[in-house]
Amino acid sequence: MAAESGRQFWKRSAKLPGSIQPVYGAQHPPLDPRLTKNFIKDRSKANVLPVKSKKASSFHEFARNTSDAWDIGDDEDEDFTSSSSSLQTLNSKVAKAAAAQVLENHSKLRVKPERAQPALSDMPTNCKVNKSSSEAQLSRMSEETCVRTPLQKQQSLPLRPVIPLVARISDQNASGAPPMTVREKTRLEKFRQLLSSHNTDLDELRKCSWPGVPREVRPVTWRLLSGYLPANMERRKLTLQRKREEYFGFIQQYYDSRNEEHHQDTYRQIHIDIPRTNPLIPLFQQPLVQEIFERILFIWAIRHPASGYVQGINDLVTPFFVVFLSEYVEEDVENFDVTNLSQDVLRSIEADSFWCMSKLLDGIQDNYTFAQPGIQKKVKALEELVSRIDEQVHNHFRKYEVEYLQFAFRWMNNLLMRELPLRCTIRLWDTYQSEPEGFSHFHLYVCAAFLIKWRKEILDEEDFQGLLMLLQNLPTIHWGNEEIGLLLAEAYRLNCSLIQVPDENALSVTGWRIPWGCRARSFSGPSFIPRALWVQEGAARTCPLLSLLFAFLQV
Amino acid sequence: MEAIWLYQFRLIVIGDSTVGKSCLIRRFTEGRFAQISDPTVGVDFFSRLVEIEPGKRIKLQIWDTAGQERFRSITRAYYRNSVGGLLLFDITNRRSFQNVHEWLEETKVHVQPYQIVFVLVGHKCDLDTQRQVTRHEAEKLAAAYGMKYIETSARDAINVEKAFTDLTRDIYELVKRGEISIQEGWEGVKSGFVPNVVHSSEEVVKSDRRCLC
Repeated sequence: MAAESGRQFWKRSAKLPGSIQPVYGAQHPPLDPRLTKNFIKDRSKANVLPVKSKKASSFHEFARNTSDAWDIGDDEDEDFTSSSSSLQTLNSKVAKAAAAQVLENHSKLRVKPERAQPALSDMPTNCKVNKSSSEAQLSRMSEETCVRTPLQKQQSLPLRPVIPLVARISDQNASGAPPMTVREKTRLEKFRQLLSSHNTDLDELRKCSWPGVPREVRPVTWRLLSGYLPANMERRKLTLQRKREEYFGFIQQYYDSRNEEHHQDTYRQIHIDIPRTNPLIPLFQQPLVQEIFERILFIWAIRHPASGYVQGINDLVTPFFVVFLSEYVEEDVENFDVTNLSQDVLRSIEADSFWCMSKLLDGIQDNYTFAQPGIQKKVKALEELVSRIDEQVHNHFRKYEVEYLQFAFRWMNNLLMRELPLRCTIRLWDTYQSEPEGFSHFHLYVCAAFLIKWRKEILDEEDFQGLLMLLQNLPTIHWGNEEIGLLLAEAYRLNCSLIQVPDENALSVTGWRIPWGCRARSFSGPSFIPRALWVQEGAARTCPLLSLLFAFLQV
Repeated sequence: MEAIWLYQFRLIVIGDSTVGKSCLIRRFTEGRFAQISDPTVGVDFFSRLVEIEPGKRIKLQIWDTAGQERFRSITRAYYRNSVGGLLLFDITNRRSFQNVHEWLEETKVHVQPYQIVFVLVGHKCDLDTQRQVTRHEAEKLAAAYGMKYIETSARDAINVEKAFTDLTRDIYELVKRGEISIQEGWEGVKSGFVPNVVHSSEEVVKSDRRCLC
């Protein structure tokens, strides 16, 4: 157990080639070292740190930054501010400290003292250890009666209570949550500043959004990130008005045709799928909501005859709808009765959901055209990617004749929405919308990271059946921002390190593109390390010593 | 660890969208009924052991397929490696019955060079008051294609066991008679682990399998 958790840690946190350099692999890297340092090193010294010292930021910092402030920020901030060695790592001159910090944090993570939380619990209690503050809310009462030991921390995963899907859609960063930390407030402030400026700096907004968007500003941020809302403040109101009118113009023009012969099949399929969309969440069982979904999907389908409506697209409306609805709802969105809202508000939510979903689908339409070439290509690319980054898992699948299409088809067709709780999808989309091709290109890397996340469980299964059952039912029900943050960090790392794989043919076969943020970057490893070894992050992952070596060399 | 089974059969369940494929399989493999569940995308996998005679167990691996047309390019890849299939229609949905022929045509093209033993299943028989397909015409159609016909309800657990075990038994008989044989590179039928019993007569018999549909 200890060894396993150690390995997991190394996998996530070891400093690796392709992790943090001044040039990033993704357009909007999760790390803004200035912010990190301000928060961690000295909150009172905001904005005075020299940019120069950025270069040496460790992967650990990076990983931490890709996780949401709301979830792990608090605890870790304390860890770091109270730790002198952590302070040292922030000084880029102290090369050794990078490695020391990794080791120290490793041990700390396992015995991390929990912050006192205000008593509030509406969930079944169970003796378990927090991994995120949102979960903290769910288990606070139990904490008081539990004795924490490092051992428990390691064993905590299986002991976690099963949290229903609906329990936490909106609780992350929701009102009613504990008071904001300084870090959260600063982040929110930064968003507000960006959003209210005359011309919102979209690059900056993407950068800020990569590690997660605060709930309070998520609706407007999403509208901007998707390209639906203009960056220019003055144009926004008019644009919204125009787009909303345009959408309802479509409804007027086309919606009656749903019962005509040539659209009958489309409408029938949508109509039977809508009641089956998010079947566990009461919000989506309301007739008014179902009608909204039907209209959105029907209009989209007939305006995109090349793909039309394909099952799975219905899921993709959900996050937008929930986020735009949350603008008007204080309490739990998932139980909200939409008849409490005015017709105007509902119309706005509907039109905005339609346009944002359309923007999303524009980027992945080949997933849904005839024979679904986009999905076929991506699943193939996933297979190739996994064969490179984790040969053991790849060979394990081959040995038991598991084909990637058998489990990953759904991952692509529904963008992992069937594999993750809705709250996680929403968080994931913060990042996807901050990436240039988040829903297509970056998603592939997220899928790879997601698969590798379960490598131990996968390797434990020793027949086809066990593997398929596992892969179809991955236990993510308890997942929150922290898990998504780590997943994204890993995906980001893969995305970046892949550029250094020399096999150009393989890349073109599967249609991989070089992430454009990475293009300018040339191989920067020390010349005495063979390039092949340098790109073998797999080796570094399984060998902590090698990671340490990299850590020393890179600083 | 591994339960002892004589053979492993791969089955496929097909039919129009919302005829109740997933519900039928879940009732059979998990013993429960979900009022509503997400539409299946692509293909889902299920498994269960059935005892066709005392002590003789067969492992069933069941592929649940998406009904929507757009997924055919994915689902049809699974026909080839299936030895048996349940072709479902909804007795309250005439259209789904009319499409049975299309489904058979579809499989015929893609199962080559193998064949699938099909059973025609009229599902949702608990909703008898809304029936749009009579038992008689369904039986007639099934007979025309050389299939058996059975009416089931996942909600009320009617004939669910029977639908699967009858099909399994039929396939077993064909395997025993050598009309279906285990073949290299084909997943439809696999031999299992049986302690102290030799089934030499039943295995790896090179003979043509007859189409039963």
